[in-house]
Amino acid sequence: MKGEEGTARMKAMELLVALGDIYGAERLIEIESAQVSGASFKTIGDAGIRWLEDFATEGRVSVPAMVNPLGMDLTRWRSMGVSSQFYEKQMRIAQAYGAMGLLPVYSCTPYLAGHRPRDGQHLAWAESSATVFANSVLGARTNREGGPSALAAAILGKTAEYGLHLDESRKPKVLVRLESVPTHLIPVAGYLVGKAVGNRIPHIDGLNMIADQHKSFGAAIAATGAVSMYTFRRKGDRIPPKSRSFEETIVLGKTELMRCAEGLRGGDDWDLVAIGCPHCSPRELRSMASVLKGRKPLKNTDVWFCTSRRVFKTCPEAVAILRRFGRVLCDTCMVVAPIEEMYGRTATDSGKAAAYLPSLGRQKTSYRPTRELLEAISR
Amino acid sequence: MVCNTPLSFLGGVDTSTGEILDPECGSRGLAVQGRVLCFPHGKGSTVGSYAIYQLKLNRKAPAAIVNTVAEPIVATGAIMSEIPMIDGVDTSLIENGDNVFVDADSGTIELDGVLERHVVTCILRHKGDVLLLQRSNEVGSYRGRWAGVSGYIEEGESDLAAARREASEEVGLRLTKPSARTTPQSFRSGDTVWVVHPFLFDVPSRRISIDWEHDEHKWVNPTELRKYNTVPGLEAVVKGLLDGLIR
Repeated sequence: MKGEEGTARMKAMELLVALGDIYGAERLIEIESAQVSGASFKTIGDAGIRWLEDFATEGRVSVPAMVNPLGMDLTRWRSMGVSSQFYEKQMRIAQAYGAMGLLPVYSCTPYLAGHRPRDGQHLAWAESSATVFANSVLGARTNREGGPSALAAAILGKTAEYGLHLDESRKPKVLVRLESVPTHLIPVAGYLVGKAVGNRIPHIDGLNMIADQHKSFGAAIAATGAVSMYTFRRKGDRIPPKSRSFEETIVLGKTELMRCAEGLRGGDDWDLVAIGCPHCSPRELRSMASVLKGRKPLKNTDVWFCTSRRVFKTCPEAVAILRRFGRVLCDTCMVVAPIEEMYGRTATDSGKAAAYLPSLGRQKTSYRPTRELLEAISR
Repeated sequence: MVCNTPLSFLGGVDTSTGEILDPECGSRGLAVQGRVLCFPHGKGSTVGSYAIYQLKLNRKAPAAIVNTVAEPIVATGAIMSEIPMIDGVDTSLIENGDNVFVDADSGTIELDGVLERHVVTCILRHKGDVLLLQRSNEVGSYRGRWAGVSGYIEEGESDLAAARREASEEVGLRLTKPSARTTPQSFRSGDTVWVVHPFLFDVPSRRISIDWEHDEHKWVNPTELRKYNTVPGLEAVVKGLLDGLIR
């Protein structure tokens, strides 16, 4: 590709070809959408700002492209405790993405925020919990892209064809039998499965989940494991999976699950209760609101309910109730916000956040099922 | 500059000074600025790509990157930062202080003053024992060390032809078909990169006649090789050939 098409496009192509070479891709394929990670100033720093601003002088996306959560709510950053230095740097990142034509959808759940991929579509998504949901639940096809490569794909409308874009790489290698998992421990089950399977796609047996449960289960798998897909028995699949068609069978019973939950429990004193990793769905906001409706806030800790701006707007009644108990934040979450500058001890109902908060957020972290957290902040 | 272990740019290199922080890699405390930075491959967090870009912004970036195997974090960072990068080079053959010319377009490097020399090593085997020859004082290198039948591959000669010629000259044997051969193995010694082409021949008897190149010969069990002061890499060559046979 010659320089007259613009240095941003040229650099984007160079990146995709180099990565394609590394992974043995034979060609580039067209994508329906892109989702770019590396949006919080906390994760990409000054170098990230400079690179994005440099890229934004010429780069323009050619397919619908969304962005991962920022380090703050764009309108309520001050009340959530973000410093004005952080705000200024964060705004430069958002503006650079905006200049390149990315949609102002700053969410880890783009599939709930306006772009829901269909079965068989190719994508270039970077957020680990979104790629696992797109591959496993929606039947779309995407690798877990790096931030720069997802942006390159957004600009060219293409990505290299390797890994989960190909049929043969989408076959499960490990059978995971889960026995009697109580609904409230589904995120813990994901946390355990991710650790057990490493980089091998698991087939999950013995767990019936609705979409929201897949969302938190898959997020935890992708946080503790290096895998962006799992398979499970769907309606109409008659034949139960046989152990011998897999490399290995892993059985995780209630004992292992309870032990893992106990290990993640942590202390009972919190500065913050953080819910919404991945970002809350409309159903989750409404169900929490109905639990809290007849109760009174204790105001004993700060509370964050994190969601996408799109979902926030579709559930005004639920939001109004939740706001009596804490902040309903958009565009951001506890994993990428500069939480270490505001809090030291965080309780969460997310298996993914439980995996990242101790290191990335330097938090003493306590995992609790959603219901327990709601009861702890109200009476 | 050479790091002998996988390198993470997030934590492994100080982005403001360009100094290597990783204690494992053998070049701790040296600055990568303006150097050809050679290491097996990258590791660690994907944010490492931005750390490479930060080095570039701080004018502390390496002049080029040479990897044995490219992986996405370093490849992404190198392209973001416009640092020439090539892979497929065995970085264990490069030493700190070498002058390295990198041609990223053709994907090759040249080591200034370092010669690449192709040699054959033939391991002769009889009933499980292999032949060791002690190199005489008349030969140009590794005098007194124990070796297999070996010698330079001459211009225009195939490695198998060289193997047969050397066996005929050094031990007076007419060899035909090798029982095994492995891919060439390279190692560095001073200003020479030796590229050894290994062959295994099974011979019908232990009767040989050595020429001026050797003083002594012995048939030894392969497990006892380490008792002998051999030429570098001989044990690995023999192991490769014998393992290849079992497979």
